[in-house]
Amino acid sequence: MKPIYFYILFSLINLQAFSQTVITGKVTQEQGEALPGANVYLIGTYDGTSGNENGHFILKTKKTGTFDLRVEFMGYEPAVQKLELKGDTIRVNVQLKEAFNQLTAVTITAGTFEAGDKKQAVIITPMDMVTTAGAKGDVYGALQSLPGTTTNGESGRLFVKGGDSEESQTYIDGSLVYVPYNSSAPNLSTRGRFNPFMFKGTIFSTGGYSAEYGQALSSVLLLNTNDMPAEDQLDLSVLSIGTEVAGTKLWKNGAATGSLTYNNLAPYMSMTAQNYNWIHAPESATGALSVRQKTGKTGMFKFYTSFNKDAFTINQENIEPGGSSFDYHLANENYFMNASWNGHLGEKLAMNSAASFTNNYDDIRYDQTTIGKRIIGAHLKNSINYLFTEKFSLKFGGEFFTKTYSQNVIMPTETHDNNFTNNTIAGFTEVQVYASSKFVTRIGARVEYSDYLKSLNLSPRLSTAYKVTENSQFSLAYGWFNQNPVDDYLLYTNRINPERADHYTFSYQSSVNNRTLRIELYYKDYKNLVKTNGGEFYLPTSYTNLGSGYAKGLDLFWRDSKTIKNGDYWISYSYLDTKRDYRNFPETAIPTFASTHNFSVVYKHWLNGLRSLVGANFKYSSPRVYNDPNSPIFNGERMLPYRSLDLSWSFLYRKNIILYGAVTNVMGFKNEFGRRYASTSDVNGTYQSAAIQPSSNRFYVIACFITLTRKGNANQLDKIE
Amino acid sequence: MKKITLSLAVLFVSLVSMAQKPEFLQTMGETLGQFSTCKNAADFQALGNKFQMIADVEKAEWLPVYYQSYCYIIMSFLEPTDATKKDSYLDVAEKSIAKLIELVPNESEVYALQSFYFIGRLVVNPMERGQEFSGLSGQAVGKSLAIDPANPRAKLLKLQGDIGAAPYMGLDPKSFCPQAKELLANWDNFKPKSSIHPAWGKDQAEGIVKGCQ
Repeated sequence: MKPIYFYILFSLINLQAFSQTVITGKVTQEQGEALPGANVYLIGTYDGTSGNENGHFILKTKKTGTFDLRVEFMGYEPAVQKLELKGDTIRVNVQLKEAFNQLTAVTITAGTFEAGDKKQAVIITPMDMVTTAGAKGDVYGALQSLPGTTTNGESGRLFVKGGDSEESQTYIDGSLVYVPYNSSAPNLSTRGRFNPFMFKGTIFSTGGYSAEYGQALSSVLLLNTNDMPAEDQLDLSVLSIGTEVAGTKLWKNGAATGSLTYNNLAPYMSMTAQNYNWIHAPESATGALSVRQKTGKTGMFKFYTSFNKDAFTINQENIEPGGSSFDYHLANENYFMNASWNGHLGEKLAMNSAASFTNNYDDIRYDQTTIGKRIIGAHLKNSINYLFTEKFSLKFGGEFFTKTYSQNVIMPTETHDNNFTNNTIAGFTEVQVYASSKFVTRIGARVEYSDYLKSLNLSPRLSTAYKVTENSQFSLAYGWFNQNPVDDYLLYTNRINPERADHYTFSYQSSVNNRTLRIELYYKDYKNLVKTNGGEFYLPTSYTNLGSGYAKGLDLFWRDSKTIKNGDYWISYSYLDTKRDYRNFPETAIPTFASTHNFSVVYKHWLNGLRSLVGANFKYSSPRVYNDPNSPIFNGERMLPYRSLDLSWSFLYRKNIILYGAVTNVMGFKNEFGRRYASTSDVNGTYQSAAIQPSSNRFYVIACFITLTRKGNANQLDKIE
Repeated sequence: MKKITLSLAVLFVSLVSMAQKPEFLQTMGETLGQFSTCKNAADFQALGNKFQMIADVEKAEWLPVYYQSYCYIIMSFLEPTDATKKDSYLDVAEKSIAKLIELVPNESEVYALQSFYFIGRLVVNPMERGQEFSGLSGQAVGKSLAIDPANPRAKLLKLQGDIGAAPYMGLDPKSFCPQAKELLANWDNFKPKSSIHPAWGKDQAEGIVKGCQ
């Protein structure tokens, strides 16, 4: 008995040991194309293999019984198949489905320039924001090298697709910046309040943006501040116009950066030719503090606060009949605070809470007039994004804006005190659905109520994108955009309603190997614009919502970082056709801020031997219109075209020392922004006028940036402008 | 009685793990041996696949995940032009490194690997990513060296980073030669914890020293 038993046992073991199952097959994608190198293995065992270049695989195993065969390949959904292993040969052909990946899927690009993160298809990076020659280290200056914008040299603000500068809003980490620009004298260029080095990412939307953003007729600029700094450091910047010292200290999961800045243009202005007579050159001092703290696994709390004081006095020619020149003095105080929290509440739920507070005061004195203007604003916002599946997400949230504007005007004969407070409450919701990785749709709506205007409005938004090939796509956006009228009208009336613009945007984008082409067509339909009817400005009855207008155009963008070694350039062209009837316009006319053709080329080159980054920027804007009250035709005059060639050079002197120099308008083009006219005519019935010129024809800056760290090897490379 | 049961249980558990370990060790050893035969991205992908498979069986072991990630980083360096492909390899490595940090948050080798991964990201587009990723890579090396100041791979990565940045900083890359020679001379003094623990990098150190002559 015994031997037989043993014999059977032995043969069984033998069978087990020597029976080998061969699993063979081919791994393909859905269209049948072979996937080379797929991973093929039996789950829970060490038996596995990889496919060859034709997708074929052979897996030999001594295991018997039921096993799961897993086939996986990067970028595809893994497939699992149950197999009965009995020592024979099994043929298994596996088709893998492409996995859905939001990072590589189609994105909505109509109207949007996105910068930041490591995606390939970005148009302009945060680095570009600061290395564009001619931007003079100003965020808004850099954006003016993108299509859809019009350079207004007498303003410096953003004018987007036929929209006025008030129609653009700036958000930092989700909350509104009520006063994003420095105060400036009338007809002189200003710049943004914020240092571009603060930001790691930027989304500049020139139309058709998400329902999350309201109170902007033309564009939103979304700035995201840097996350955690890398190490403790001290930065010293000495510029021809001022100096800055900033210190960063890290602790566990947190960091703080404090900075002090002092700028004074007096020495610079005394050495260079100026078009105006400055009695007191612009002088400013700023203190800022930013704090970062990681909370939990995914949360990040950010806080930023700054206090800025600046002042200048400029002598202005008085063009009123019999007037003599007078000093225009402006002193500004700006307090700004911004806080945000971002994080995940569970796997599928992400939350963003943001708040901002602004207290801005302008003290203006000229001739015999004193004007005090104060803006106190706050914004609270909370938004939640819920990811039902990778392909379907819902965003909703609410926000609250409050703004108090007061203006006090003292003239020799009279005094005016006016103010208003407007509270706006808003709610928004939006769904984003990917039908496939090639097709995405975003539908949303926004409701806003203003308690001062007693108006309730609805803003539906729709955008969609379709990927035609691996590297190119079409995108469409449509929506209604509402915005409360400008402060200067709300001071005197609340009998008007928000203004509205409807956007239609169609864009095509193709991005191959660091070359990007983008073509965008758009149409904007302005309604309910505020118009004055000739009555006294302080009477509520002088204002109506009867204005209207349109803007349509074509934007082209080409960027190539590939063709020229160590070189990078982009070209923007915008064609704009716009007319409107608003404010004090007697009829429908082209507004002063619009120019038909805008052209810009930016070039940057890294010179290895010289350890230098050199940059050039050429800009052209076709002549804009302006109004001459002596002429019967409204806005019938044409100013000179705007032209400027700007150069910059950054030199890495030591590993922690950067020298920088820049000059604008190297060619010395004459730029003039029309003329300003007296409000009353002289004895001959003529309105006297003076040319509006830039502050100077050319601007130079030289700077030295020094970084000190414990390790002594960091630098301010990101400060190369 | 209780004691006996307990000791029996302990014995059983250790027997089982003993029984499993040899297969794990053997497979790991065999797979690691294949590194020397890898010539191109496809070879590294096949190897990465194998480590992925082992990781799938041995869910508590960090080394298979480590090597899988390492393979994908190497693949990104081997891809000649396609930036999207490079990034997609690095996306795989990124996920694995996140897993590693969860598995063994205090392992010097993991942060050295993370530093290597950041260099991979940097190389895809040095003009745009240079600043951010050289910082991140330096931070990761710092973490690695803080845990184990003797880790030769961390030292190597730091050295490579310094040498790579030298031309931009106005320094002579050769000024790092003494450091490189010292690193190579002491390389074998560092004993990996086991035969399957990370041991790579000596070739690269040799390469740097060779370049010095």
